[in-house]
Amino acid sequence: MNEAEAVLETVVLSPDQRAHYQLAWLSTVDHKRLGILYMLTGLVFFIIGGSEALLMRLQLAVPNNHLIPPDTFNMLFTMHGTTMIFLVVMPLMFGLGNYFIPLQIGARDMAFPRLNAFSFWLVPLGGILLHFSILIGDASTVGWFAYAPLSETPYASRLGVDYWAISLLVLGIGSVGTAINFITTVFCLRAPGMTLRRVPLFTWMSFINSMLVLAAMPVLNGALVMLLIDRRLNTHFFLPAEGGSPILWQHIFWAFGHPEVYILAIPGFGIISEVVPVFSRKPIFGYEFVAGSTIAIALLSLGVWAHHMFTVGLGRPMDTFFAASSMLIAIPTGVKVLNWSATLYRGRIRLRTPMLYCIAFLVQFLCGGITGISHAIVPLDWQTKNSYYLVAHFHYVAVGGVFFSILAGFHYWFPKISGRMLSEKLGRLSFWLMVIGFNGTFLPQHILGLAGMGRRIFTYPDLPWWGVLNMISTVCAFFMAAGAIVVLTNVVNALIRGQPAGDNPWEAWTLEWATTSPPPEENFDALPPIHSRRPLWDTANPDRPDPVVGPDNETGERWDKHVTAIVAFALSEAGFFGTLILAFLYYNVQPQPGPSPKELDIVRTAFFSVCLFASSFTIWRSEKCQHRGNTAGMVTWLLGTIALGTVFIAGQGMEYANLLTHGMRIDSNLFTSTFFTLTGFHGIHVIVGLLLMVIMLVLALMGDFRGKSASGLAMVGIYWHFVDAVWVIVLSVVYIIPRFI
Amino acid sequence: MNLTQFLISDWVWSPLAVFCAVAGLITYFRYFGWNERAGWIVASATVFLLTLMSPLAALAEGYLFCAHTAQHILLVLVVPAFALLALPDSVRMPARIARLLHPAVCWACGVGAMWLWHAPLLCNAAAESRSVSAVQTISLLIMGGAFWWQLLAPSESQRMGPLHAMAYLFAACVACTVLGIILTFSPVTICKAYLHPVDRLGIEGMIQGNLGMTGMRDQQIGGLIMWVPMCLVYLGSIFGQLARWYAAPAETTLSVS
Repeated sequence: MNEAEAVLETVVLSPDQRAHYQLAWLSTVDHKRLGILYMLTGLVFFIIGGSEALLMRLQLAVPNNHLIPPDTFNMLFTMHGTTMIFLVVMPLMFGLGNYFIPLQIGARDMAFPRLNAFSFWLVPLGGILLHFSILIGDASTVGWFAYAPLSETPYASRLGVDYWAISLLVLGIGSVGTAINFITTVFCLRAPGMTLRRVPLFTWMSFINSMLVLAAMPVLNGALVMLLIDRRLNTHFFLPAEGGSPILWQHIFWAFGHPEVYILAIPGFGIISEVVPVFSRKPIFGYEFVAGSTIAIALLSLGVWAHHMFTVGLGRPMDTFFAASSMLIAIPTGVKVLNWSATLYRGRIRLRTPMLYCIAFLVQFLCGGITGISHAIVPLDWQTKNSYYLVAHFHYVAVGGVFFSILAGFHYWFPKISGRMLSEKLGRLSFWLMVIGFNGTFLPQHILGLAGMGRRIFTYPDLPWWGVLNMISTVCAFFMAAGAIVVLTNVVNALIRGQPAGDNPWEAWTLEWATTSPPPEENFDALPPIHSRRPLWDTANPDRPDPVVGPDNETGERWDKHVTAIVAFALSEAGFFGTLILAFLYYNVQPQPGPSPKELDIVRTAFFSVCLFASSFTIWRSEKCQHRGNTAGMVTWLLGTIALGTVFIAGQGMEYANLLTHGMRIDSNLFTSTFFTLTGFHGIHVIVGLLLMVIMLVLALMGDFRGKSASGLAMVGIYWHFVDAVWVIVLSVVYIIPRFI
Repeated sequence: MNLTQFLISDWVWSPLAVFCAVAGLITYFRYFGWNERAGWIVASATVFLLTLMSPLAALAEGYLFCAHTAQHILLVLVVPAFALLALPDSVRMPARIARLLHPAVCWACGVGAMWLWHAPLLCNAAAESRSVSAVQTISLLIMGGAFWWQLLAPSESQRMGPLHAMAYLFAACVACTVLGIILTFSPVTICKAYLHPVDRLGIEGMIQGNLGMTGMRDQQIGGLIMWVPMCLVYLGSIFGQLARWYAAPAETTLSVS
């Protein structure tokens, strides 16, 4: 890997930068280098997660094996799942997105390069936090889903789960940052003529996917926060003995977890939608349907999580509705598969390595999709949920689908990233090793699962055929490992002595191929005119261009980038608070034994709330003054806002002090737990808002407000209105509604 | 009584509903005559009558909360949408009223119609009193009409742009999902009027026996109807907007290229 990195740097860096190479890579804010860093990070964790998988397969190779003790096996599958999802597939997808979204839309960089670097560096930080728990011999053993109460202190008393949760929080924050950046970049930085109706499908799908990240990640963060408070502050959100609800953990986790499956898959769909047309020498069949079905998948995925919980016993009404809605997802996914197939139909197919991976993707993803539908059938799900049939299903989606799409995209774009061609011979070898290895590993697991082999168990009895099938699975897992080694060899080989790629080796049609390979720091010297979805086709074939799509300038499609970013951020925060608010409602609709909301002082809170609401008005006035260039007025109104916000936070402090002196602590009962968690996080947001306003004030007093900081106040304003709006709901839910129940 | 007998016999006769439907149809045909969109107004009137007079209405009247929810959705989302689709392109809202119909107002109407009438107080009142129920029906139709106006106004100039419309619908979907989630998971009964129905029609046995309905399950299904099928209506119209967006012509480009 170090060798690859060393070679890569000679290719991508200019001689100047090479001189202080390390600093250049550590401090870079360039989207292309961050993209490469994402991918290298993904690679490192792939080696770790893959080794964990191989160890598990070695243990399962023969019946009644005792190579790995049960507890270590639990640790392995927990770390393998978490690593592969959060530290391999997400960084790889974000890496490709980082590198190619700005190029595909003809932009110079991402909207917020420094936020981009911040989001990236959170990935190694999260990864190190997670893996540090191995070094202290305490890695989490409770699965990547961390079902309560198993993940609670009484059953997992050591530090593994805490490291796991903190690491996922860090990674979740990084993902939200990346999503905000992708959304803002696509919304605000498209080149002239690159309207939203013309963006390449990889960009479009990453864009929709980022919205899904905004919706899903904060829900996980909410759950993790509650779990951590349970573990560290002795509350009982998910501990049934004290009235908490382990089912709620499952609901919140899968409300994130199901969209997460699509967060991994949708960018992969984007890659397939780029590669299949180029190697079929045809435009994509039904662009609108491929793009539209992405929206359908994203929206449906938010409302079907309970199908992960059929075995919980939610009752027939829940099972029925969620079985139906889960099956619906098959429609837009099927639309996509049909469109890709129709693109292949009568195309002049070039079977190069990227295309081979795409074709394998189509077949394997279809298999995984069909076994997925079988899991939407409730009684079948009851039988197969905890068996290897499910393991086979999701590996067909996650490896046979998602990971193969990453390999397709990597082989497709590598010439652009490095300027060198990969060897076709090694590419084919890796492809066949991967296909044989993958299907050999997971196809037998369908049979094993249907025969009753349970998942998450470190060994199995010597039943007829079980040993044989497991041995096949293990041997083939090593074929996949060999395939991965061949891919890496191919990369190193190409970097050292690969053929130069030229600008557009595949004769593709999207803008990333309109610049040199690798692209210069500023990405483009000049952009071709853009009137359709395939600008390079139009340039190459002026006599028969693609049909023009929509007008060149769409009105209402371009927002201010600061406003877009802060609105996206507020939406993600709304998901976080939404989770905490629904948890509050869930636990307090029926009064808990002990302290209750009726003991809160509503009059005093009403007064402080009025101050907070008034501050929304004052900050609006401050913005108005800034617009008119009236700095004195702006400063005055801003001071007023800070004063009102401070009064509110002081009021909250008084309330807390009062409650604490009356013996109401966060661990007293579920009311106090939910109350302190919800109002506490709101309070933190108010304090952050106040700090931001102080920064604005200092900037204004330093006279720095006419130039680049002008949009800062608008951003703080939107954030502040959001914090106030959250308080409207918190006030009604915590203080007012419980009085009427 | 079994289910078939119930479906055949228990229709609710409501002169007021028939009067409103007939008056609506007469007004429509007087102003616009028979045209290619007249089918929509007939559909609207039919759904309206089925909602208020079919066995669904019998169930909604004190027996089943989930039937009441289904009625709600038909009155907010289906009847007004069909009625708006029936209007010819030339119809324009007078400027004075159009100014009131700000997107935020319309959105609040569409979502508020669901949230407001599920406040325990109002929900019980509507289940127990026919006059409150009539007020509820009318308000649902008007609020639903306001919600759809932004998307289905006959003249393109009074509609939202497709991208904004998608955000508008998505936000409505989220708001109704949240209400659906609350109803589904709430351990307390929101609408107590449905817990102990007065068995006017002698169908209590069928509901609790054959259909296996309990108070908890009834509310859960009500919540799920709001959560899943109702969102599918929004989702369907998001696709309508998507189709509208992609179908928009390339008029300005032709001069450029």
